[in-house]
Amino acid sequence: MMRVVGRRVAQSVPLLLLISLLLFGLLHLAPGGPLSMYLENPNVRPEDIERLRRAMGLDRPVSVQYVTWLLAFVRGDWGYSYADGRPVLDRVVERIPATLELIGVAALMALLAAVPAGVLAAARRRVDLITNGVAVAGISLPVFWFGLLLQLVFASALGWLPSSGRRSFDGGDLIDRLSHLVLPATVLAVVLAAAWSRYLRRAVRESLGMPFIEVARARGLSESRLLWRHALPLALPTFVTVVLLDAAMLASGAVVTESIFAWPGIGSLFTESLAKRDYAVLMAFLMIGSVAVLLLNLLADVLVVWLDPRARQGS
Amino acid sequence: MIGLVGPIRRSASLLAMVGLLGAVGACGRGDTNRRGPSNDLLIVGYDREPDTMNRYATHILEDIESCVVEGLVVNDERMNIVPLLAAKVPTLENGGVVLRPDGGMDVTWTLRPGVKWHDGVAHTSADVKFTVDAINKGDWKPESVDGFDRITAVDTPDSLTAVVHYREVYAPYRLQFVRGTLPRHVLAGRDLNAATDYNRAPLGTGPYRVAEWKTGEYILLERVANYWQGAEYPKIQRLLFKFLTNTTTRINQLKSGEVHLVALVPWDKVRELRPLPALRLNQVMGNGYEHVSLNEQRFAPFREVAVRQALAHAVDRTLIVNTLLDTLVQVVNGPIQPLSSAYEPAVRAYNYDPAAARRLLDGGGWQPGADGIRAKGGTRLSFTLITQAGFAIRENVAQALQQQFREIGVEVKVQLVDGTAISSLWFNGDFDAMLHWWQQGADPEITLFFASDRTPPAGRNINYMKDDALTKLLYRSDRTVNEVERSGLLKEAQRRLAELAPEIPLYNTAKIDAVPARLQGFTGNPTNAGPFWNVYRWEMAPP
Repeated sequence: MMRVVGRRVAQSVPLLLLISLLLFGLLHLAPGGPLSMYLENPNVRPEDIERLRRAMGLDRPVSVQYVTWLLAFVRGDWGYSYADGRPVLDRVVERIPATLELIGVAALMALLAAVPAGVLAAARRRVDLITNGVAVAGISLPVFWFGLLLQLVFASALGWLPSSGRRSFDGGDLIDRLSHLVLPATVLAVVLAAAWSRYLRRAVRESLGMPFIEVARARGLSESRLLWRHALPLALPTFVTVVLLDAAMLASGAVVTESIFAWPGIGSLFTESLAKRDYAVLMAFLMIGSVAVLLLNLLADVLVVWLDPRARQGS
Repeated sequence: MIGLVGPIRRSASLLAMVGLLGAVGACGRGDTNRRGPSNDLLIVGYDREPDTMNRYATHILEDIESCVVEGLVVNDERMNIVPLLAAKVPTLENGGVVLRPDGGMDVTWTLRPGVKWHDGVAHTSADVKFTVDAINKGDWKPESVDGFDRITAVDTPDSLTAVVHYREVYAPYRLQFVRGTLPRHVLAGRDLNAATDYNRAPLGTGPYRVAEWKTGEYILLERVANYWQGAEYPKIQRLLFKFLTNTTTRINQLKSGEVHLVALVPWDKVRELRPLPALRLNQVMGNGYEHVSLNEQRFAPFREVAVRQALAHAVDRTLIVNTLLDTLVQVVNGPIQPLSSAYEPAVRAYNYDPAAARRLLDGGGWQPGADGIRAKGGTRLSFTLITQAGFAIRENVAQALQQQFREIGVEVKVQLVDGTAISSLWFNGDFDAMLHWWQQGADPEITLFFASDRTPPAGRNINYMKDDALTKLLYRSDRTVNEVERSGLLKEAQRRLAELAPEIPLYNTAKIDAVPARLQGFTGNPTNAGPFWNVYRWEMAPP
């Protein structure tokens, strides 16, 4: 097992290098740059823009900029934000807890909804019909639209919940923070729960078709026991893989959600940095995302082996 | 079925939990999210998080910064330049400006006595000198060194007098220190690029200080005691700037009362907000103008003045203003706006006259082809108009222009480009025509936009127009300190510009701020300084 993990980690290094090269190239090829925000401001003369370009090292060839960035990045020096001059690491680190809080709660909510819905849908036609309808609606909902709708209804019209932010500026107790979490976490959770319940339904249904389930049923095991103690564990490896791989989707969904709800996480930072073409921050965000996807893939493989005895024998 | 009771119960528990969260929210919203505006707290919905609170390193809007760090002068609601930390604005007439025989000039700033930094240290001419030296030293990255690079030295004969020596005449000298000064006693000997403590909570002389900057969430300002304008100021104890980048979220919060004030309301939201009794929409004329730039370098037909004039005649600007813009703005005929002392109203105006437009094109040899589009010598009068994507009003105006140009036999393809990309497109001259605006400062200098040698990358003459007479006029105006004389030169330049029609001016910008109906003392501001210029006077009237 450790050898497999070691091999996968080793394979990831050239892959990450390639990803970094592609991302860096694409970002720099996109029209506009960190200084384009100054162009609309007549107080900043072209001479000033040229001075800033030199000071920021943007006048050097992109290849030189890439190599410089890469060497520094590997050393743990992520550079300085073009926008505010603060260390990129500081900017990223201060935003990560908010995002983890949001996606953690959203994932938990989604799991709590998706697991019973998926398992029951696999066994009961009526439940299946209902959950199918709800899931299709959930999957089809544009996050942006759904977020604004919730905001309009529960914050603006009914006034039950705050419409944005992570806490009230002079609040910050548990209830205050939970109240701020409800709407953005719900938006993310609905989309995830819809997808996950469908995956789980299919996996459980496949498990229910296995011969040993028939045998167990013939031996008089209750439907409930069959479903939860036998079919669900069999379906779990596939489901866990899907959940972990969806973490990437969760992060991209969080970018939009954080923007709508002014959630001070890394997704909002990405949106702001993209608008300013803040290369240093963008590269840090994208590299963290890439590493996270690779790690989650690895984690999924390990978990499958751990959960599924057949896979363990195979490995 | 009995076996399913467990899972169902669990699902019910889940629903209960969601309901509980809702209830938690209902309890949690409490006072902090929805309390009304008061003299204790005013919550501002702000469309961006500042990169820095250092006024010399920031860009475009300085609303929050200007509450903390004051300039020697400030622009009032009529765009007049009035003294703030200076005792008076130096001019030729009051002896504050002396033109030297060697072509340079000396400007004497007399500072207001009794002004102290927030830490109690006196604000002096040494701070003015330190500011100039810090900017000119070259190892710091202020946003602009415009004007400072023409200063050779600053003398400080006494603590309240700073004599600024320029190597050449610099007409916009009055705005040289509109962004204030840097505190020498705090910053001397430090690397300003790395002075994060100052850049996030600058020491100022203004009515407020930074109490807390919660990254990604808000900046909280609290009043300073013993503000130099009087201990009774500022009236409002705390200002909270919440960062709400999404426009819909910002407007929703304004409607729900979670924020009390939103500066620069998008024009297409005005109808939505107008009926709300708790709000007042304060409107001032902005010092910017929407127009169509015509790139003569990229699209050859634009080099013909008749073509440019025909296009100007083809646009029904009044219709656009009345219908698409709800008469929030006014039709304008040039780049210098009515609030400027150099504004010239008597210029050639291109009224909507499609017949005149057709005559001009016919006269220029542009004949309609089989598809109705005019052509000459194999060149069709067909071009691409780029404009900013996601800016609803601008997208509508672009479509209106497309339709109106089509009526005189000119084909326009509209291309929507994202905000960051559009700047680099024009900077590279990589467009035919562009619908956009320039937001100008209080000084009427327009050399950067129209002088022949100021085409990108040396300037913003993105029409690529070349007119020697105009260029001469513009440079002469930049070297003239006498305001009347300078205005005369600029007025002549405006008349010439209108004849040449290098671009199609459409309408000026309106600055509309949504404020609590009970807020007194709020006036708005036409410049980039923003509406917070007199925040110390703001006060909530009793309900």
